[in-house]
Amino acid sequence: MEGQRRVRQSAIRMLAREYSDSSLTEVGAGEYDPSFVVTKLGARVNRALVGGVIDRMERRDGDNGPSYSGSLRDPTGIHFFNIAPFQPELHSDAEELLARFESGDRFLMMLVGRSRWFEQEDGGIFMSLRTEQFAVCDKDTYSMWLTDAADATLRRIDAYEKSAGIELNRNSMESAGIPSDLVNGLVSAREHYPEFDSENYRVGVLQALSAASGRSSLIQEPPSEPESSSMQEAPSTDTGNPAPIEPAGDLHGTIIATISARDSGEGVEYDSIILSCVEAGFSREEAEDALESLRDIDGSIIEPRFGFFRILPS
Amino acid sequence: MSEDGKYAAQVDMVKEECKDASEEEIAREFKRYEEEFLIPPEDALRSVMRKFQAEAGIEVTTSSSPTSSQQSPVKKVDRFSDLGAEDRNVTIEVAVVSYTPRMQKMKSGEERKIAFGWIEDNPWEPSDKRERWDYKDWGDHSQNLAPGSVVRLEGVSVNEWNDKRSINVNRTSRVTILKEGGATIHQPSDEPLTIEKASASEGFVNLVARVVSTKPDVIVKKDGSGQLNVVRGRLADSTGSISMLSWADFDHEPGVLLRIEGATVRRFRDTPEVNISDSTRVEIYHDNSFASIDELSSSTKSSISELRNGMRDIEITLQVETWNQRSFTANDGTERVVRSGDVMDPTGRCRLTAWCEFDPKPGDFIHLKEARVQSWQGSPDLVIDDIGQATNLENPAWEQIDPDDHWVDVELTELVGGGTRRGIRTSGTIVFVTNDSGIIERCPEILPDGNRKCRKRLRDGSCIDHGPQRGEEDLRVRLVLDDGVSNVSLLLSKEPAQNFLGLTQDEVADKISKDGQEAFLASIRDEYLGRRVSVNGLALIDDQGAMVLADSASKEQTHPQDAANHVMEKWGVTL
Repeated sequence: MEGQRRVRQSAIRMLAREYSDSSLTEVGAGEYDPSFVVTKLGARVNRALVGGVIDRMERRDGDNGPSYSGSLRDPTGIHFFNIAPFQPELHSDAEELLARFESGDRFLMMLVGRSRWFEQEDGGIFMSLRTEQFAVCDKDTYSMWLTDAADATLRRIDAYEKSAGIELNRNSMESAGIPSDLVNGLVSAREHYPEFDSENYRVGVLQALSAASGRSSLIQEPPSEPESSSMQEAPSTDTGNPAPIEPAGDLHGTIIATISARDSGEGVEYDSIILSCVEAGFSREEAEDALESLRDIDGSIIEPRFGFFRILPS
Repeated sequence: MSEDGKYAAQVDMVKEECKDASEEEIAREFKRYEEEFLIPPEDALRSVMRKFQAEAGIEVTTSSSPTSSQQSPVKKVDRFSDLGAEDRNVTIEVAVVSYTPRMQKMKSGEERKIAFGWIEDNPWEPSDKRERWDYKDWGDHSQNLAPGSVVRLEGVSVNEWNDKRSINVNRTSRVTILKEGGATIHQPSDEPLTIEKASASEGFVNLVARVVSTKPDVIVKKDGSGQLNVVRGRLADSTGSISMLSWADFDHEPGVLLRIEGATVRRFRDTPEVNISDSTRVEIYHDNSFASIDELSSSTKSSISELRNGMRDIEITLQVETWNQRSFTANDGTERVVRSGDVMDPTGRCRLTAWCEFDPKPGDFIHLKEARVQSWQGSPDLVIDDIGQATNLENPAWEQIDPDDHWVDVELTELVGGGTRRGIRTSGTIVFVTNDSGIIERCPEILPDGNRKCRKRLRDGSCIDHGPQRGEEDLRVRLVLDDGVSNVSLLLSKEPAQNFLGLTQDEVADKISKDGQEAFLASIRDEYLGRRVSVNGLALIDDQGAMVLADSASKEQTHPQDAANHVMEKWGVTL
């Protein structure tokens, strides 16, 4: 049942993109009330089981002790995770992970974490997971997770599609065949997010399934994809289905402003531009698309060195 | 480079940035990302690039983490007396006393579902320290406003009318349950509920149901002021059956179809019961399409999976697995004999206790009538008191079940939503390994009632009942099994834990003393975290949650490709 104390929240299986696209959160008001991130597909995420290849791992030393942050990459994007100073039981394993990562080793991991986010005063929101437990895993374990995540995502897509035009209350939703664990999240998601094409998530699911069944790179880009530029020019970092790029003045403005403010001659790093956009309230995908559009179509920024961007000198 | 030529474009790009990196190594890395991490080269580019940049000592700036900030401009009060007549956006914790749903005609002519009732402030204190107000629920929060629960209301407003203040719970208000109350109130309507729905609710209901059985009974008042004549019985429709208790005259024969308005569903232990009082309207109803008593009598036959503590009048067919008898001296000094054994049906297994001379043999099929369910250590077990309630069947009711291999598959969600059950098999993914897994010490003190040991876990060398003890070492592993929708605590005692770990208890003890507890836990996580596991055992379900005591637990051996194909088939997607 909802909001009940002491009942453990189940771990939602979810690909990175669905989570990072979220901008709706539900804060439990009391100390023991669970908080949730509600995804566009209506998953109410308090705890998640995620997987991927380690993509980043860092330590920061603060007044209260060390904390760690890192990211895992799956076929649809990146899950950010952290380990707090008050989780000393995880620190020795985190150190080992860090050492392996810094030595150049890359490996697959499974990670269970609680949802956590950072809000900015301007409304931007950035999704992350506070680690509960993790383990390095083999490819079979990861592949099984991919199929589980695909299964769970398809179940949510199905429920999302069934909820179109349905009155936003439990009775109507359940009569429409929506599983009861998804009802509350879908009601909130439908109220908060504008209508979107769930096809975007289906593409991610297909990527996960084809990776899991050993057909990793056979994925065809969806036909709606605008003619992609040649490999040398535009390596797409977004494996999802980039929607046709809308002129997004504010987003472009944010990117330009970020680069001009931070460029001290070396250019500004990709991640830091994207993060600024995310903090300003844009989704990661939008930001990545816009950055590439500015470089490849608009031409107002350049990437003189891979991963570092500068404003095109006029 | 021949085979890895497919990565040439990406390798060139990395090479451009990291001049000293070896092309072969770069290509190998892309290959690894594609084959091991399932990330195609286009998507792996940034990751691989960063790796070689880092190795080459090129500074890779890392983004600073944004800080969190939250705002909450609300009026938060503890007592109703702190509220003014004009207050909006109020946050307060209250106890819900009642919730009465109604359909209300709005000015626009449309009907809207609202509810009213009483709430009390100061919910964590006894009721003499509380103040009671009326409230109206305009936002259909019925799910979260069950009587008996304590909730936090957020975004509610004060309404004043004729000098009387009340609370409006609005559509935008948030209701958070802090303490669970009774069952959820169902939607208001004059439409009768099915028995299945009525069984899940509490409070007023309307029903159309057939009388299956009736039996006059007498209830002795607790204060000794006399007796009450009541009628017990059972009502059924095509969705199930439910016990009935009538406090008013009730002379309808079994077989009669009734429309019952304004009855109350109450719970005895875990079992719902329809209460009929003087204010309940009971009338004969005509519906030729309604299931006949013969058809319904099958729905009153139970299966083991449906048994709940407190049920009565159970009719059930069983296969006997074991049967024993023992005698003991009752409190009044008389010698008594109790017979009991393990019984099975296709939905599971449980125990049967007979307080009569009933002596079936293992393998026998038996049929019980008017049996009752009593909980023993959380497991709902059958009881008969009279030999007349039991018959031995001549013909098998089903193909003989092999007791050594009788596990009923139950999905986690069904398991968690049901009652305690023996003999189940379920599956899920391990999402947590608890820190106290491993070697524990148990209290060796012999209990006064016989030769059983206390076996409580010692904490700091001390038993909660028997003080400091020299403990006996035992092995156990505690995990959380989760399928993404539901989860249970999974407990492996010594035998199943040894099989699960592939280590004897002594080997576990050695490993812990050599490498430490943390390393032992990490080794379980490395092996099992995020892995699907199949479990056989006993499921204990109570207010605290769900726990499976495993007889055995093992990794599921599904090939990822088969699993992926299964998912594609299930949802009709193709690559």
